[in-house]
Amino acid sequence: MSLLRNLARRRLRTALTITGITIGIWALVVFGSMANKISSIVAIGSDYYAGKIVVTDKSGGLSGDSPMAIALVDDIAAIDGVAAAVPGVSTLLDPESQDGISMPDMIVGDLPGADQGHRKHPVQVAQGRALAADDAAAHVAVLGSDLARKFGKGVGDTLEIRGMTFEVVGILEPTLTAPDATALVPLAAAQEMFLQDLPPVVRQNVRADQLATDITVYPAEGTDVEALATRIEATVPNASAMTAAEFDKVVGSSVAIFNAIIVGVALISLIVGGLSVINTMAMTVAERTREIGIKRAIGGSRARVIRELVGEAGLIGLLGGLLGLGLGSVVVYLANEAGRSSGTILFQLTPQTAIFAVLFSTILGVVAGIIPAWNAARLDPVAALRYE
Amino acid sequence: MALLEGRNLRKTYKLGRKNEVQALRGVAVSIEAGELVALMGPSGSGKSTLMHLLGLLHSPDQNHGPAPELSFGGRDATRMSDGERTRIRAHEMGFVFQQFNLVPTLTAVENVMLAGEYAGLSRREARERAIARLNMVGLAERATHRPSELSGGEQQRVAIARALVNDPALVLADEPTGNLDSRRSAELLGLIRKLNREHGQTFVLVTHDAEVGVACDRIIRMRDGLVRAVELVNDPTPGDVGEAAA
Repeated sequence: MSLLRNLARRRLRTALTITGITIGIWALVVFGSMANKISSIVAIGSDYYAGKIVVTDKSGGLSGDSPMAIALVDDIAAIDGVAAAVPGVSTLLDPESQDGISMPDMIVGDLPGADQGHRKHPVQVAQGRALAADDAAAHVAVLGSDLARKFGKGVGDTLEIRGMTFEVVGILEPTLTAPDATALVPLAAAQEMFLQDLPPVVRQNVRADQLATDITVYPAEGTDVEALATRIEATVPNASAMTAAEFDKVVGSSVAIFNAIIVGVALISLIVGGLSVINTMAMTVAERTREIGIKRAIGGSRARVIRELVGEAGLIGLLGGLLGLGLGSVVVYLANEAGRSSGTILFQLTPQTAIFAVLFSTILGVVAGIIPAWNAARLDPVAALRYE
Repeated sequence: MALLEGRNLRKTYKLGRKNEVQALRGVAVSIEAGELVALMGPSGSGKSTLMHLLGLLHSPDQNHGPAPELSFGGRDATRMSDGERTRIRAHEMGFVFQQFNLVPTLTAVENVMLAGEYAGLSRREARERAIARLNMVGLAERATHRPSELSGGEQQRVAIARALVNDPALVLADEPTGNLDSRRSAELLGLIRKLNREHGQTFVLVTHDAEVGVACDRIIRMRDGLVRAVELVNDPTPGDVGEAAA
């Protein structure tokens, strides 16, 4: 009660200090949410690659959709240590769309059952069912959560993709990552669409069922995954074999840079916010020297003086933190809503980030308040009483 | 045994590198429990400084002379930590300082409660007692006003209510009637007299006001940092009286 009354005494100064902390915490919340989003994408990527090797054509790169000959599946399956090799096709849902920033909408052609039960971490189906082995020739699709919302389709609806009509049989759980913008279809249908994309010269010489963009390799029990990847690259011409460890290495460095930015933002807000709290509290102590003298003289202990001032500083930190969190969540929410239609979800505000931000600014306030409070507690009560 | 006993009390304030003020130059003083004592003297005579020493707000200087002695209720105050002195101030002493030393953000009743809370009272107890003391000084109806909404005399009476809230053994007051008109001043002296006689509370009043002096049991007159004279005005507790030391 009296803490708030004391803060209200110098409204402008308190407001400015709280604003300073608010900005720092706002930045922390927004950047932190962005880092969360990136690490969750990376975590899903790690999970995706865990326990398997994804073989693509060297020219394709990470998300590559360069064509590979499906015959390679048999070559790879013959390599020592391979338990199963499954061809897949990934291609852009709409080849015309190129927004460049976000995960594009994808079509992924799959051969259900070909993994012989080796696949781990499949995305759960929220409604309807997953693709089944006997869908192989059917025109059915399982939609990612964002795609389903974007097209306004539910289970049982039909959806036209690149001139082919699909029946929607399932909707995936949201993952906040790539699968949300993915339509899973049987391999044959995906091969058909992929073929349309290829340059006419190539198109005339291949059949759709000869095509794949990636081959997922499940290693046999007890096989050294990295060694197997090396063997695959040595055996299959022009193949790039990606393992979980390699994925972490490639992606990990960019995540590390981003995390360094977050730490930088946190440090700057720590320094700026902390200094302004120290300044505010030092001025407060100077102004209230006489009052502190009275309190000490009539029996207020040093600890009590410290508690009061540190409490005030902590309250400044807490208010700044709550405001920063509030403002940050609004920005995160609005940015995500604005980006949802184009699939650009950049932020993910987790409870941990929110709690950390508020706790951080409160502790910052308390720590910054300690020095001025300590000085106040050490004032000579008589000198403080005489202070004009 | 005397409630307060001091010997060889010296205090020098440094005002600059070469400018020192010897506020007290070796004072011996003894105040009995239940006495009503006036501490009188011109400005700069050291009476406020003596009050600060007796109120355990300052420690006497240890150097440049014989070791100082100071006891309160038989306890050696020269060896007390800041915490111990603070506890004694909170529980056993009441203070009224020159000018209006109230906390500006707190209402009258909250100012009085503050001293109660420092002495360990619960908020409720502190509030009940604070209202009773404000009633005693005739300010109950102004309890929820802030100091800025009170006149100088009213603020002074709030400070007196605050000094009395814990029924302290010793009340030290610096110019308690300084801001009061003669009627209020007489009323306050009557109240102090009454508390002194009926509850046996000891009062040390620093004052310029001769009328306050004659209302006390004893006047200790100071000049140039020394006790110059001790006058018995009326003597309710015969026996030991403070002695002057040069």
